[in-house]
Amino acid sequence: MRVMVMVKATKDSEQGVMPTTELFEAMGKYNEELVKAGIMLSGDGLKPSSQGKRIAFDGPKRSVIDGPFAETRELVAGYWIWEVKDMAEAVEWAKRCPNPMPGPSELEIRPFYEMADFGEAATPEIVDRFERLREQSKNR
Amino acid sequence: MRVMVIVKATQDSENMGKPKAADLAEMGRFNDELRKAGVLLTADGLKPSSTGKRVAFDGAKRTVTDGPFAESRELVAGFWIWEVKDMAEAVEWVKRCPNPMPGPSEIEIRPIWEMSDFA
Repeated sequence: MRVMVMVKATKDSEQGVMPTTELFEAMGKYNEELVKAGIMLSGDGLKPSSQGKRIAFDGPKRSVIDGPFAETRELVAGYWIWEVKDMAEAVEWAKRCPNPMPGPSELEIRPFYEMADFGEAATPEIVDRFERLREQSKNR
Repeated sequence: MRVMVIVKATQDSENMGKPKAADLAEMGRFNDELRKAGVLLTADGLKPSSTGKRVAFDGAKRTVTDGPFAESRELVAGFWIWEVKDMAEAVEWVKRCPNPMPGPSEIEIRPIWEMSDFA
């Protein structure tokens, strides 16, 4: 099963505090272990929300709001996509992550919807499209 | 540049069972347009936070908490990764997205750190 493992933002990441050399190295080693174990599919850091935007949807209305966004707890600072046996395996790997932030922080682990979850809603057209998307993501 | 385009969760997505065929089809058509334009890198939905967990880090301590998590505004319901020229292009594409939720909703666009940013 695939999961997204999100690093929640903190005041530090929002202010653009960069990881130390030590953290870059520790995180690099951790990512290598994840790759070797066949767990890590991808991972990235997101720039602070001062560089982000939100679009509010309300019926046909679209309103654009510039960052920064004040509620840090609402923000993602980084993420991985992992292939794991189950949530327990994801949790064990997450616990081994080096502290991603200078102070206290939180990782959130959320399973992906897969085709099997959609039941009858997944018509052949939808499954085909989903599979083409999967193939394409693998090649990028 | 790459961006992560995040669909923020709502009470509806948190209480959702299976997505409906019509919604999947509409979003699928939008994803097709993104793909044809060379924008789409990846697209996925996340199950409600009742299926999720959080791991709190504090020094050497690790504390695991089971979902669900009450503050929907803190949650990601779905996401894309897009390759775009700039934020303005990303915004234009997001505006064309079908309503991702039954009611009002929000999509957040965040640029991704690339190696070239650290050079």
